[in-house]
Amino acid sequence: MNAMAWMPRKWRFEATLALRHLLTGGGQTLLTVGAVAAGVVVVVFLTSLIFGLQARLTRMLTESIPHVTVRVRDREPVPLSMLEDLNSPLSSSRIEKQAPQLKFIDAWKQAVDVIRTVPNVRMALPAVQGQGFASRGGNPIGVSLTGAEPAEQDEVSPVSQDLIAGTYVGLASDQVVIDYELAKDLSVSVGDRVRITSSAGNTESLMVAGIYSRGQGRGGAYVTLRTGQSLFGMGNSVNVILVKVYQLFGSDQVADRIESLLPYEARSWSREFGTFVSSLTAQSASAYLISTFSLIASSFAIASVLIVSVLQKSKQIGILKSMGATRSQILRVFTMEGLAIAIAGSVSGAVLGMILVYLVSLPRQATARPGHVPDQLFPVEILPVYILGAIVAAIVATLIASWFPAQRAAKMNPVDVMR
Amino acid sequence: MMAPETPEPAGRIVVETRGLKKTYFGKVETPVLHGIDLAIREGQFLAIQGQSGSGKSTLLNILGALDIPTEGQVQIDGVDIATLSEDQLAALRNRVVGFVFQFHYLLDELTCLENALTPVLIRKGEANAEETARVIALLERVGLGDQLHKHPDTMSGGQNQRCAIIRALANQPKIVLADEPTGNLDSRSGDEVFKMMREMNRENGVAFIMVTHDDRLAQEADSIVMIEDGWVQAVDKHEHRRKLLSSLKEE
Repeated sequence: MNAMAWMPRKWRFEATLALRHLLTGGGQTLLTVGAVAAGVVVVVFLTSLIFGLQARLTRMLTESIPHVTVRVRDREPVPLSMLEDLNSPLSSSRIEKQAPQLKFIDAWKQAVDVIRTVPNVRMALPAVQGQGFASRGGNPIGVSLTGAEPAEQDEVSPVSQDLIAGTYVGLASDQVVIDYELAKDLSVSVGDRVRITSSAGNTESLMVAGIYSRGQGRGGAYVTLRTGQSLFGMGNSVNVILVKVYQLFGSDQVADRIESLLPYEARSWSREFGTFVSSLTAQSASAYLISTFSLIASSFAIASVLIVSVLQKSKQIGILKSMGATRSQILRVFTMEGLAIAIAGSVSGAVLGMILVYLVSLPRQATARPGHVPDQLFPVEILPVYILGAIVAAIVATLIASWFPAQRAAKMNPVDVMR
Repeated sequence: MMAPETPEPAGRIVVETRGLKKTYFGKVETPVLHGIDLAIREGQFLAIQGQSGSGKSTLLNILGALDIPTEGQVQIDGVDIATLSEDQLAALRNRVVGFVFQFHYLLDELTCLENALTPVLIRKGEANAEETARVIALLERVGLGDQLHKHPDTMSGGQNQRCAIIRALANQPKIVLADEPTGNLDSRSGDEVFKMMREMNRENGVAFIMVTHDDRLAQEADSIVMIEDGWVQAVDKHEHRRKLLSSLKEE
């Protein structure tokens, strides 16, 4: 009984008996441990798959977009009844939305400083964004233009990591980086010149310095901030401040805080992609639901095996009680058995689950992104929090499942069972 | 309904009943014991005889604090068991009473030595060196010295029953209650087990109450009581012996 040295002296007999029951239980013990392990494997595998998938989708979506975009607010038309001064030149008898136009953030340097003080903000990048056309002799093709400092732009919407040719960081003012689809449509490669015309009407001839492929969207072009400002005739001004945050799902609070500090509109990615976020929530909820059901199912299996084992041991329980064992001692024997089953089952289940997750992470899929290493077919991710959570949940479920058989054992009347 | 005579010098009373009645309340009310007065003294060896269903086992359960009377008083080691809680009854059984059943009821998961130590383990969680040595000495005394680390399923019926008797003695109780302890053994093993019980009784001064069908073994007890339909009757041992001899002659 030296192995029981860590156990309080008073409980050592119960612990020894519980352990012996399990060791001599053979198939029954394996069955219960297996039931717990199966439940944990399902939880570990499912959460790795679903949350891995979510992480990949979220990463793919958010790594290439700003988390909060700060612009000048569009003037909303106001009904006449809300205007106090009907003679004001702003009043109109028709509700008509103003045509979209580029609006400068005049005091952008101060605005950037203010935004950087907001908690959870990783970086704030002043930029020029707008629409334009790219052409090379033939028909012009629509492009989305972004003018920003390359090194900082890489932090907001990475370009360098998606490059398949040329360079982005160190871009000169007469150079442009365009996406793969656009390059294909224009039949240009690195070193060729393209004409870029902005929606403001300014045209520049720029040399293609790099080509990137992001696997989503098409028709993007990146220039320096200086070139962007001159293409859109903005002087020293910008029309947008792009913000990246640390906590992706805290971007709404960041946007609200910015709006309360500055007279500009701040839009959070999670509000722009509301359906995406709500589908993530629905996925998480179903993962939790399935996990819960699988743990409940294994609890029932455990409870039924333990009830049978208690019934088989009723004579033993009777003799122990006749020798002075109390209800709580009997309860302890069977609860300890449950605990040992729970620990053995959940740990082996977690190990098995992780092995399974690892095996499933091996196959690669045929890539949709030219020039990139293929992605995993199943984007599983081993998440220690969920594995720990699965172990704890399985232990709690098993203890609950073993509580009822243990209670039943404790209540047995020795006179009845030994007749 | 009279107290049994005690031929040996009167010791302290360890178990005493006064007007003990027991009724089972099932679908029908079944009175089992109708008012029993008994007193068992230190070192006494009492045999209880009676037909099956006469209430012997019920009486034994109550004398061992496994069950409580419907009416009347039972004092075990000077304590009225009606005043005790469930846990206090358990502690009383552990400290004062030892049980031996017709079947040994040893735990297959434990070795012979661990089984014999069970009452100590229940009380303290662990046995100290002195208690272990004492129990080993008792096991050696009944010829189980080489069986200490064997499990019950590898031992013979007689060996198991001897181990069960040492288990009943492990906590140095005041009284051992034996319900047909030889009933499941062949006559040779039965005799050995009985002889051993009698020796333990004499050497340690523990009172024994033994329910038995075996008239020959009952004859070896200090006194005999007969239970008939829930009433107890003391038996004159000499009369009992005479009847026994005459029945042997007839065979």
